[in-house]
Amino acid sequence: MKNSKNKTHYFLEGGDEMGKLIREKDWSKTPIGNPENWPSSLKTMVSVMLNNPFGMIIAWGKQPTQIYNDAYRLILEETKHPHTLGNNSSENFQKIWNVIQPMFNDVLKGKTILQTAVLLELNKNGVKEECYFDFAYSPIKTEDGTIGGILVTVVETTPNNHKITANKTVYGSMNTSTNLTELNIAKKKGEDAEKRFRNTVKQAPTGITILRGKDFIVEIANDIYLQLIDKREKNVIGKPLFTVLPEARDAVEPLLNNVLNTGKPYHGIDYPIKVNRYGKEELTYFDFLYSPLREDDGTISGIIVTANEVTKSVKSKHFIAESEKQFRNIIMNSPIPMTILKGKDYKIEIANKIMFEKIWRKTEKEVIGKSILTVFPELKEQKYAELLNRVFTTGITHRENESVAFVESNDGMKKFYLDFEYAPILENDGEISGIMITVNDVTSKVEDRIKLEDNEKKFRLLADSMPQHIWTSDINGNLNYFNQSVFNFSGLNNDDLNRLGWLHIVHPDDREKNIETWTNSIITGNDFLLEHRFLRHDGEYRWQLSRAKPQKDIDGKILMWVGTSTDIQDQKNFLTELEKQVKQRTKELQLLNLNLKNSEERYHLMVEEVQDYVILYLNSDGIVENWNRGAQKIKGYKSEEIIGKSFSVFYTENDKKNNLPQQLLNKAYTTGRAVQEGWRVRKNKTHFWASVVITAVHNDINEVIGFSKVTHDLTEKKIAEDTLRNNAEELQQKNDILEKMNKELQSFAYISSHDLQEPLRKIQTFSSQILEKEHENLSENGKDKFQRMQSAARRMQTLIEDLLAYSRTSTTEKKLEITDLNTIVEDVKDDLSDEIASKNATIEIIEICKVKIIPFQFRQLLYNLISNSIKFSSENERPYIKIFCKIAKGKDFNHSKLNPNLDYCNIKICDNGIGFDQQYGERIFEVFQRLHGKEKYLGTGIGLAIVKKIVENHDGFITASGEVNKGASFDIYFPSV
Amino acid sequence: MSYTTHNLLLADDDTDDCLFFREALEELPVSSSLKTVYDGEELMKLLSKSYENLPDALFLDLNMPKKSGFECLEEIKLINELKNLPIIIFSTSMDMDIVDTLYNNGAHYYLRKPGDFSKLKKVINDVLIILSTNNFSQPSRDKFILQS
Repeated sequence: MKNSKNKTHYFLEGGDEMGKLIREKDWSKTPIGNPENWPSSLKTMVSVMLNNPFGMIIAWGKQPTQIYNDAYRLILEETKHPHTLGNNSSENFQKIWNVIQPMFNDVLKGKTILQTAVLLELNKNGVKEECYFDFAYSPIKTEDGTIGGILVTVVETTPNNHKITANKTVYGSMNTSTNLTELNIAKKKGEDAEKRFRNTVKQAPTGITILRGKDFIVEIANDIYLQLIDKREKNVIGKPLFTVLPEARDAVEPLLNNVLNTGKPYHGIDYPIKVNRYGKEELTYFDFLYSPLREDDGTISGIIVTANEVTKSVKSKHFIAESEKQFRNIIMNSPIPMTILKGKDYKIEIANKIMFEKIWRKTEKEVIGKSILTVFPELKEQKYAELLNRVFTTGITHRENESVAFVESNDGMKKFYLDFEYAPILENDGEISGIMITVNDVTSKVEDRIKLEDNEKKFRLLADSMPQHIWTSDINGNLNYFNQSVFNFSGLNNDDLNRLGWLHIVHPDDREKNIETWTNSIITGNDFLLEHRFLRHDGEYRWQLSRAKPQKDIDGKILMWVGTSTDIQDQKNFLTELEKQVKQRTKELQLLNLNLKNSEERYHLMVEEVQDYVILYLNSDGIVENWNRGAQKIKGYKSEEIIGKSFSVFYTENDKKNNLPQQLLNKAYTTGRAVQEGWRVRKNKTHFWASVVITAVHNDINEVIGFSKVTHDLTEKKIAEDTLRNNAEELQQKNDILEKMNKELQSFAYISSHDLQEPLRKIQTFSSQILEKEHENLSENGKDKFQRMQSAARRMQTLIEDLLAYSRTSTTEKKLEITDLNTIVEDVKDDLSDEIASKNATIEIIEICKVKIIPFQFRQLLYNLISNSIKFSSENERPYIKIFCKIAKGKDFNHSKLNPNLDYCNIKICDNGIGFDQQYGERIFEVFQRLHGKEKYLGTGIGLAIVKKIVENHDGFITASGEVNKGASFDIYFPSV
Repeated sequence: MSYTTHNLLLADDDTDDCLFFREALEELPVSSSLKTVYDGEELMKLLSKSYENLPDALFLDLNMPKKSGFECLEEIKLINELKNLPIIIFSTSMDMDIVDTLYNNGAHYYLRKPGDFSKLKKVINDVLIILSTNNFSQPSRDKFILQS
């Protein structure tokens, strides 16, 4: 363990109780750590301390760790020991640490401090005692010269009389005769005792000597005594006292003789004795006790002298008494207010004149002998009462400057700023008996300064609240102050500006001029005025107007410069813009004026020259004020005939009666414009159809001052429109008729199909009944007539059906479907199977395709064409019919009617029949056109008309070509969608 | 040939046609009875008088006074008791649009009045054969028109 190891450290050897405690202590838990690691100076000091009879304590380190010896331990309070060993000194001196700490700090800086007559109340062996000590605080240096800690040496200076009453030590007891007797007895008990006695005397802290016989032969003198008389032992022992100290004979010999003769001890206090020492004769003062030494038989053989030198104390007493007198004089005559308070209740003992007059404003009578806190109770409410108590308790002088104090008097409460000092007044015994107060009234000085500070503060506040940049400079032109606005603007702080220089924020192009102007002002003292650009924090340079004025003292000497810079960028922008705009506007106005002039001329010419429009100016009453060529042409008046007349002359009698002219003016007046079309009257009383626009003309203040009137002759247009309208009406009527006719046609178709067929059918039925039932009764001629009747009726039926089909082709809806032509051809072949069979006809489809058509109509078409081909077949040849179908571009068909770029479908039907003369190529498509007699070829003459109509229904056309007895060919073209 | 008596009803305002029909029917070697009405109202009155004694077939002319054959057909098809009555349209004209409409309206056959008496007999006979051989449901569209 560390503890056991501590025993082996040489520097921890010795000491009594404390030696043991230090060795057993586990130092590793303290800030100074294990002893083996202590600095050598600490080691040495601990070694010295442990074996020293004086109280010593070492406080080591920044957080002072304390180590103390046996002698110091005695003055420690019981409760603190032994745990305070190794603790922080602040704990040890807890109560007075505020006093001790500054001293410690001073010592740590290398000072040595002596504190004398410190009163400590110690509890020794259950008895409370007031003890006085001198404390010496000295620094302990380490090898490197720094101060590692503090050595505090404590010497008790409690006066002897105190000590005697309370001390139970051997030294104290030596001063009583009874105890000395015991000492004598002890001496006689043998050599050992004799030796012990001598040792005791030797070691005593008081000067002791034993004088024998009438000649006062010095038998023993301890070191302290020898020191007191500045003699060596060998020069003293065995010699008569007054041989050694002849100079003391006068003062001392009678006393010694008296003790020797009477046996009464003599106690000398503050006894002056002349002594030759340290090479000169001195007046010294001693407290001493001369005690008779009695032999066993009661005879007095010598005297034991114990002596304490009190020269210092006595001399100082004398000095104090002397100086107090002078001191009072000083106080009373001092120009600085002073007073001395005595005792715990701070009675005013003395105060000087100036204190009475300036501070207290009271008379001596009101104050002297009374407690200051009674005379000035307001001090209790301020800090002063407490400060007095503190100084009185701690003995530490309190100084303060410019402290505010309120002092009440007959003229009321007055406020002071005071520099003051409370100094404790110490008595010789170190006790504080009072306080000396020194006061320096600095009120006016402080108030002036505060006023100055306030002004300065106000100035800064004012300056900082200004949007302008404010700055100051010294007489040499060095800028030394900028207001907040400068910092805000530049984004720089004061340090930046000082470092970079204020020129930094000036535009590089403006710097030269700036320096020149500024230098000029500094030299001449004239006002500084400059426009220049400053760099704003966002990088933009803005124009500033800077001014600076020199501030002068009464003698006109320049003290400083105060400058302002105002941001005039916006004004400058505004001004530039304004100038630009004015220039622009002036230019525009000039141009406008020129244009106006030109246009006015042009306008006049134009108006006059216009022939197709009447352009008039009417005044507000409708009186014609100008006339143009158009007006003359349209209305027939010459200008001199009409100017000055009302425009109402142009209106018809009827319109005038209805007040139309005025109505139009009113409308133009209220709405700004009146538009009308109507008949107007020319000079020659003929009418023309006029389109009139009357527009109100306003002056600058928006008043109607007249009207412009533009009239256009629309007679021809009117006639054309009327005709058109009539035509349209006619067309509508015709359409209506057509529609009616269509309807009639449809009903005709119905009648044809139904009502006409009915009687026909009945004729047929009756004739068939007669032929059947009356066959026997009819002659051959009758039968023939009946058969002819039936034939006629059949033709009529066919005719009706064909007519019906023809009419239907145009009335039915177009429903185009993509259809395979082949299917339709096959259907038609089916329908015509009888005829095909009887004539042994061949129908060949050469090319075929799908086409978009109306299927039932195309069936009709092919039926009609094919049946035609069969019908008109040659007698000598079997009918041979070919059908072609082709879809191609118009240009591929070589037909002028076709659009070359569109797709067409061409269907061609050729036969080898009787053909026809090409001169009938068009005609054969007309209704009821027949090329052959009814007897030879049956037919109504409607078939091809139907075919043509169907083709036209498909937006196409059909052509026929033929040659008699060679055959016919039909070409159908229609768009292929 | 069937020997059952065919009870036929003819609605036609044309007395000539009625005569042709009666003569043709009489000349056919079948037992039949024919009742004729001369307008649509009369027809509907007769049919709704008793649903028990309905004819075997109705020959219906289209152009009739008071109520046309179209109207009668539509009305008959709305009456539950009558809607199954076989109806043969008997008309002079043959407009395909009209034919389609009639088929869609539920007529069983379309018979165009022929101009030849012998043809008339033949188609009436055809109808009677169809009547006796099937249950007279409406045929497919292509068999709707009876060729005379």
